Amino acid sequence: MLAFLVGCTELQRDHVQFDQLSDCPKQTVTTLIAKQSQLGPLSDTHTLACALTILRDTQDPAVRRTSLGSRLCLQLAERETNQEKREKLATEGVGFAEAALAQGGSDDGAVHYYLATNLGLAVREHIILATENLGRLEAEMKRAVALNPDIDDGGPLRILGMLYLKAPAWPNGIGDRDKAQELLEKAVKEHPGHPLNHLFYAQVLWDKGDEAILTQVKSEFALGEQLLTEGNWGYSKEPWKKEFAAFQQELGETDAAN
Amino acid sequence: MLKIYLIIIASLLTPYSANAALDPEMIVVCYPGGSVNVKDANGAMSSMLRVVERVGQWQENSFNSLFTNKSDECRKQLAEKNPKFAITSLGLYLELRTQHNLVPVVQPKIKGSASERYRVMVQKDKYKSLDELKGKTLGGTVLEEPSFIGKIVFAGKYDIASFFDLKTSTQAIRALRSLDKGELDAVILNEQQFSGLASLHLDTPLETIFTSDEIPLMGVVANTAITTAEERARFGKALEGMCTDSEGKKLCELFGVESFVPVDAKVFEPMVKLWAEGK
Repeated sequence: MLAFLVGCTELQRDHVQFDQLSDCPKQTVTTLIAKQSQLGPLSDTHTLACALTILRDTQDPAVRRTSLGSRLCLQLAERETNQEKREKLATEGVGFAEAALAQGGSDDGAVHYYLATNLGLAVREHIILATENLGRLEAEMKRAVALNPDIDDGGPLRILGMLYLKAPAWPNGIGDRDKAQELLEKAVKEHPGHPLNHLFYAQVLWDKGDEAILTQVKSEFALGEQLLTEGNWGYSKEPWKKEFAAFQQELGETDAAN
Repeated sequence: MLKIYLIIIASLLTPYSANAALDPEMIVVCYPGGSVNVKDANGAMSSMLRVVERVGQWQENSFNSLFTNKSDECRKQLAEKNPKFAITSLGLYLELRTQHNLVPVVQPKIKGSASERYRVMVQKDKYKSLDELKGKTLGGTVLEEPSFIGKIVFAGKYDIASFFDLKTSTQAIRALRSLDKGELDAVILNEQQFSGLASLHLDTPLETIFTSDEIPLMGVVANTAITTAEERARFGKALEGMCTDSEGKKLCELFGVESFVPVDAKVFEPMVKLWAEGK
């Protein structure tokens, strides 16, 4: 297991097998596509697993060129607590997105967005893989920003911004706090209803280390937290709560130190 | 690159007690002026340490690391933790070597060299010499250690705190953008930052107005009061083998470190002398 965690140098391509698929509702690819907008953070895990299983078995190019399979994988991966399973689901999401691109989906910003988000989730615990994939992550997310910056409440802006904030900075890597701040500020302004946009903006402001803007950092954090508490974010709520708690601890430690 | 090889080195530090996993060997890692998030750096080092434990067949969690990018915090941690081994900047080594009985153990080799030069960059044709920068703004990440810059990089020729208007930055790219816009008069870069200039797309051409002498790259230091010569030799040997190990090789390639080489103490003697004499 340890060798897998640290020595892993390529994505794990085998699929996660789901239980109780015999309980899945009778549905076809056509019916699934018709109701795809209903599949999201509010859907239960079994429903998403059933949908993904149907997509695994289809070779219909019209379906394969969409971002649906990749999006379902991301939603399942994000709520999976087992790291190995989470990474396999995310890797499968990368595969769906790659297939979509091969089938002519390259002008669909969502395909690039879900490719990058899945890829990020698949590699983030592996230092070599993560570093090797930074360029691809940036390229895919930049394409998503260019094609459809508004998807997922400014998801491409939000994730590309965080990539620039967290990645090793120049000259070691693509990290660039100025670009990060620009993107995250835009995400907050254009999509003020998403809690993570405020959390990430608070983080990039905090990273500047300027005591003068501490009030703004706390204000953005509080606004994001309020949106998270009051909104119906389904299965996304718990993992996001953890992200807020981690940053709150960082803020608290600094307050205590001062 | 400094950050990267610091992390590699941190991963290779060896425990010397049989019950190390119960009482992990603390490694203090100091990277003054770095823009690295402390939490991320400790996370990365933790991953690396696990590799070393596997490769070296040591018990998991035999090692622990404590990272800081603040000079004051580094001084404090070295005093409190009193580690056997540490990773410091050259400036901190020179400052603390007597107090903590520090000796260099290994140096990284990058692009064929175990040393580097620092350079002061200005907008092309704006200034003719370093003397013209008196009273002007000088930016850069390496200014987190002003004594090192004054005594070693400028070889004691300038009292930089009074000669320049210093503008320390946590990001080299931000300082260079400020230079590009004319908000700063000059920026001081280390070798790695200078080598990366070609990848930046700045509007204004820059030129070098000052180049330092060769300055040795810093790696791991050991406290001779609490380590034996055998321990230091064993540790040095482990690092020297790092970049030829199958797993270690990938990490070395990824981070641009060719190898780790044993320290020739003579390399540091001029630095110690400059430090003692410098202002």
